[in-house]
Amino acid sequence: MIRKTTLKKHENLKGWLLSSPYLIFILVFWGYPFVWLVVLSFTKWNFMTPKKFIGIENFVKLFSNPFFWTLTWNTFKFMCYFIPMVLVFSITLAVAFTKAKKFKAFLAISFLVANVSSGVAYSIVFSQLFSSNGPLNRFLYNSFGFIIPWFTNPNWAMFSIAIMVTWKFLGYYALIFMAGLQMIPKELYEAADLDGANKRTRFFKITLPLLNPSIVMIMVLAISLSFGIFTEPYMITGGGPLNGTQTFLLAIYTDAFERYRAGYAASLSIIAASMSFAIIYATRKIIEREVDFS
Amino acid sequence: MKSLEKEKKISMKSVMFYVIMFALSIVWLYPYIWMFLSSFKPWDEIYTTLIPSHLTLKSYAFILTVANQMGYPFILGLLNSIFVSVVVTVSVVFFSALVGYAIAKIKFNGSNFLFNFIIYQMLFPSFMFTVPLYLIIRNFGLLDSYPAMIVPYMMGAWGVFMFAQSLKSVPNAYIEAAKMDGANLLWIIFNVVLPLSRSTIAIVGLFTFMGIWDNFMWPLIVMQSYSKMPLAVILAVFDKTYGWYIGPILAGSVIQTIPMVIIFIIFRKYFLQGISMSFK
Repeated sequence: MIRKTTLKKHENLKGWLLSSPYLIFILVFWGYPFVWLVVLSFTKWNFMTPKKFIGIENFVKLFSNPFFWTLTWNTFKFMCYFIPMVLVFSITLAVAFTKAKKFKAFLAISFLVANVSSGVAYSIVFSQLFSSNGPLNRFLYNSFGFIIPWFTNPNWAMFSIAIMVTWKFLGYYALIFMAGLQMIPKELYEAADLDGANKRTRFFKITLPLLNPSIVMIMVLAISLSFGIFTEPYMITGGGPLNGTQTFLLAIYTDAFERYRAGYAASLSIIAASMSFAIIYATRKIIEREVDFS
Repeated sequence: MKSLEKEKKISMKSVMFYVIMFALSIVWLYPYIWMFLSSFKPWDEIYTTLIPSHLTLKSYAFILTVANQMGYPFILGLLNSIFVSVVVTVSVVFFSALVGYAIAKIKFNGSNFLFNFIIYQMLFPSFMFTVPLYLIIRNFGLLDSYPAMIVPYMMGAWGVFMFAQSLKSVPNAYIEAAKMDGANLLWIIFNVVLPLSRSTIAIVGLFTFMGIWDNFMWPLIVMQSYSKMPLAVILAVFDKTYGWYIGPILAGSVIQTIPMVIIFIIFRKYFLQGISMSFK
């Protein structure tokens, strides 16, 4: 009995000792910034002069600033372009991957290698490929007689960024879907065949419902990604044309480190994070289903 | 006869399938191909032809020597990127293994709390902390130094989570046997448990390394001197200032991308495992 309690104490000590570096780290680089963030959001501060407590003024200013609504609209637009595009293509690609018997490794690599491209380099390459006299427009002009103002038209610019991000993440998401497809029992398809179901019904009645956990996961990944877009607009458009590609992160960066409005940037960070959280929560509530594989 | 026809039809279909898949994969590789070929082209052919008339190293010579004289030390940037990414990766793997082991294998009164806490932590997007983290680094007097790029990333919830999940499946018998032999805790972790979880080490290491290599906004904020900047930031600044030197910029992009592509091709097995593991 006594031995047991000392052993228990010993285990407790070991556990806390092993985790202590992490706990200290989290306290300094996660907990402390968290408190700072909240405090900052209620202050007016330029990083230099004494901080001034201004209550919720930052948030009032934020919501009454049309620029904030531009950011929200742009992020919303990006999600509307990116999420359906990447969902449809990556599910299709995942189905194609499972059908491929040969060249599996080559096909997987050629779609996945996009995902390891570095943000700065791929932004440079795409800004060249999509430039007004770049290879893509040259091809369009020679074959169809028109060009597309990819990054120069405010209505196109966000869509072009959505294409780039789709290029980068398609293979990655397709592999997640492939893992999801492999969890669907073959017997279900065989049973459906016996019932004379065609391909279409099989896909919509079996594949899609049972893929629900992967779809939820991709949606969560894609939404959080949409709120973290920075490198592409920073490198290619600088937020323009006509603020068409301004994103939350770009605005936080400019407000904090170019305009030195620390408090305002902090409150914008809080609102952006809450919005991303709320949309993820709502999405899960709407589309998440209990999946029974039997 | 009939079945032969059917077979023919099927093989026609499968040929079509592979043709489409190959065409698509070429489209997907095209940005890489274009970048790579253009970096070896004579400068006046970058926009005009896909296949260069002859290959030249002029762009590489420019980015590695002339740009250096202009104050953009690309070789140093490459070394900085390697240094920062390696240090962060080693640190993340080391500490994640320790904490993951504590959560998975030590029955102590904080293990559940810790596990729930790291999951809770992962809910918060890291961009939230940019401004306050900058202030902490500034208050420590670390702005424009290597630690500014390294310290905030030395540990992370995701790595701990991955180790905690995978170490659960290490059989307790191994650990008990080592304890019987009088081995101490750290010896057990590093000589018994970790060799059994090589793939977790590879997965956490790989994704951490690639994440830090690609990290752009943070070093852009905290670094001032070009001699200490990672490659991503030097390349970005050079592109913003001398955008018309497109050949050298693409050569810089190749230098910035190729290490990741090579690492990916070598460790692709773990990359795929990591994707299906984070799915569970």
